[in-house]
Amino acid sequence: MTASNVETAAPSRSNTDNLAPRSAVVTGWLADRGIFVVTAVVVVLSAIFVDGFASLDNITDVFNRAAPIGIVAAGMTFVVISANYLDLSVVAQVATGAVVLIGVSNSRGLVVAVLVAAVIAVIYGAVNGIAVGVFKANAVIVTLSTTFIGLGLLRWASGGSIYFGSEGTLIRRFGTFEIGPFPLSMIALVLIALLLEFVLNRTTFGFAVKSFGSNPAAARLAGVDTARVVIGAFTFSAFGAMLGGFVLGAFSNTAVSAMSSGYDFRALAAIIVGGTSVFGGKGSVLRTLLGVVFVSILTNLMVLSGLGFGYQQMAIGGLIVVAVSVDALARKATR
Amino acid sequence: MTSDAEVIGTKSGSRPVERLRRLITRRPESRAVILLAIVSLGAIILEPLVFTAYSATLGRIALIGLVALGLTAVILMGELDLSVASTLAVSGVVMASIDSLPGGILVALIVGVCIGVANAFFVVVVGINSFIATLGMLFFLRGLAFVISDEQPVRIANIDAGIAFGKPLIGDFTPRMLIFLAVFVVMHVFTTRVRVGREFYAVGGNRTAAYDAGIPVRRRIFTGFMISGFVAAGAGAINTLERTAADPTSGSTVLLSSFAAAIIGGILLTGGRGSVLGTLLGAASLGILQVGLTHSAVQVDVQNIVIGAVLFVAVISDPASVRAVFERVRIAVRSRRHQQTPVTSA
Repeated sequence: MTASNVETAAPSRSNTDNLAPRSAVVTGWLADRGIFVVTAVVVVLSAIFVDGFASLDNITDVFNRAAPIGIVAAGMTFVVISANYLDLSVVAQVATGAVVLIGVSNSRGLVVAVLVAAVIAVIYGAVNGIAVGVFKANAVIVTLSTTFIGLGLLRWASGGSIYFGSEGTLIRRFGTFEIGPFPLSMIALVLIALLLEFVLNRTTFGFAVKSFGSNPAAARLAGVDTARVVIGAFTFSAFGAMLGGFVLGAFSNTAVSAMSSGYDFRALAAIIVGGTSVFGGKGSVLRTLLGVVFVSILTNLMVLSGLGFGYQQMAIGGLIVVAVSVDALARKATR
Repeated sequence: MTSDAEVIGTKSGSRPVERLRRLITRRPESRAVILLAIVSLGAIILEPLVFTAYSATLGRIALIGLVALGLTAVILMGELDLSVASTLAVSGVVMASIDSLPGGILVALIVGVCIGVANAFFVVVVGINSFIATLGMLFFLRGLAFVISDEQPVRIANIDAGIAFGKPLIGDFTPRMLIFLAVFVVMHVFTTRVRVGREFYAVGGNRTAAYDAGIPVRRRIFTGFMISGFVAAGAGAINTLERTAADPTSGSTVLLSSFAAAIIGGILLTGGRGSVLGTLLGAASLGILQVGLTHSAVQVDVQNIVIGAVLFVAVISDPASVRAVFERVRIAVRSRRHQQTPVTSA
């Protein structure tokens, strides 16, 4: 039984190898699994050569910083897979999430804060999603405008003030809680990613997002409600960003409207490096997690080597361009 | 009798209305004209200072519009250049780091053109979508500006020249406004009278057809990105001169307002439709709006909300979007009707 399976599998594989040129196979493989190799190599090399990288404190710090970005990126993966490039407004959403968590729960309690954040997430998802899905407007420009509207509203509502969590509240404990060696934020990240991966791979909605991303016209003809898919993708992104803001606010125990700058492109870099295609239709939330780990380690290494914010931005911007180039070249080669 | 008269009356009365409607739907600039009229009217009534102290208003329009003019060349071909905001910052920082003023300006402009070439390389040769390629460049260059400037504002060596640059040169016009007008005229002539510029429309309208017609599509896209980079770098140099220092963080609001100006101006993001004149009108309405809000002592946060909202409305209200919505509503209504009536035919 097994032998015949191997036999039937082997020729078909070599068949595809023959069809595609050798270089295409290599670039395709690199685009598919390169990130695993690169991450492993980077981790091993930096553990050997970079002082302070392999310490437990540093690794915990890497994961603590990775958690909020990871949750944001996990939600945004849906937008990228639906071929809508990205959701720039996560910057506004993360800050809103943090400010609502601390500011509102200080005055009204945690339950109200969670409800308010959920309502705001639904509004963001609906506004972005309707503009992109129903009005067929460009996602980059739409989310650029909602970023400015959202941040403006947040600053106007909060007066630009900084919120601190009160002593001994649930949030404070959440931010520092640990189960064994794992901080709670990391466990939250893994659980959310698993849940979203389930939604992406095992539900009708997830399938619709993928099929819409790979071919919108075909998806529509197949009876997929395209507007609902896009609105859903942006709503998932908004909920991810709100939760990311919660984790960020709980971890740092402060919230201010400017705390989330850079979350848009860090999340995008993580998603793309993880292997989710910006051309849509292909990707996975768990791979995004790996991308987040890679981006966080990269940032951490630069911090350890004393390279400032400018270099970090250059590296992540360059990473986006290079990762997308590899993806594009691999596509070209296999076509 | 009366009903007949009414019908005739509405018919004859609807003709100019109909003509106006057709004009509005046909001309890409119509939205900008409408917004400009509303904003100007509001400003005249509420804040006449906008027009009596017009030099500040013109300066703001030139500030918003210059980058948008360069952007127009790229968007006409259906591409986007999000990196303009960082190009502005990088070229300003580069210019300020060089002691000689003319040398600095020259190098800054060359840097802008090089950034355009890099963008076009990723779009044309590698084949990445321009949104993502220029977004990556946006972050990369923002970081570069920080690195070159050591995360601090860089003062220019020749501060006197900078101060002189901010003063009116001819009449009430500062050099910035004159440069803006010159760039407008050049771009207008380029896209309406010069063959290369006309071909931008063809590339944006239907790339395959343009290629079949013998237009060197790749070279045109390179030209477009180079124009956009060059103009953004020029805007960066002007900002640096006027402020006598280069700020590496500058440019985040430029991204919003320049895209808003171009899109309000009626340019279609999928390419092939729009005009430089529209961008000018878009910049004018945004400039008047901003200066009016500033004169009325509206907070910057609220101004950002207003301009973000204007961009949002502009991007969802272009003719293709409205048609898409109507189509959707029509299908929804029809399918409901089908559900109500018993199924007789497929």
